[in-house]
Amino acid sequence: MADPPTDRGSTTGTPLWVKVFGVIALTLVVLFVILMLTGGHGPGRHSG
Amino acid sequence: MTPRLRKFALTAHVTFSVGWLGAVACTLALAVAGLTSRDAQTVRAAYLALELTGWFVLVPLSVASLVAGLVQALGTKWGLFRHYWVLAKLLMNVLATTVLLLYTQTLGSLADVAAETTLSRDDLDFLRTPSVVLHSGAALVLLLVATVLAVYKPRGMTPYGQRKQSEQRAASQP
Repeated sequence: MADPPTDRGSTTGTPLWVKVFGVIALTLVVLFVILMLTGGHGPGRHSG
Repeated sequence: MTPRLRKFALTAHVTFSVGWLGAVACTLALAVAGLTSRDAQTVRAAYLALELTGWFVLVPLSVASLVAGLVQALGTKWGLFRHYWVLAKLLMNVLATTVLLLYTQTLGSLADVAAETTLSRDDLDFLRTPSVVLHSGAALVLLLVATVLAVYKPRGMTPYGQRKQSEQRAASQP
């Protein structure tokens, strides 16, 4: 990781790629919670 | 950090991270073998190898990658919370390491069944779970995305980073 160039990241506002990452992460979290609530996922599921 | 130390820390972080990626690819191959093989001995061997790989390769490499990444971020001007790509990598690394540590319990259960002297039909059904394939596949995707972020370093500063940059500019002006 070299030192950042002075102009890198100087744009204001949230970049599009961050928004896309956020939507994907949120979707995965919701999916995970649904799976946990329905008993379809979790460490205990495999330990029987 | 001095330039020499920074180079060393970067080399360590890249080595641990890429090593972790390669180890996850091996895990995926073993998981596919465990899921699809018709040979009980192959299935047994796959899950025994998976537990060893988990404890002695994946966990050490994931923790080492996380620690080296923290050192690298905090020891350079990039910082840990200033750039979105660094923050995204941190979150992905913490998530992957946490899930991996929790998942060693599952790998242990699978290896315990695989180590039994005789495998019943139920034991084999228990071992032929898609869970390991899904988890290692997801880990592979996550680590590939982290690698892409590290190489491309997409633009974008967090509000905290922008504030810090403004403070530094104000402080450097006469």
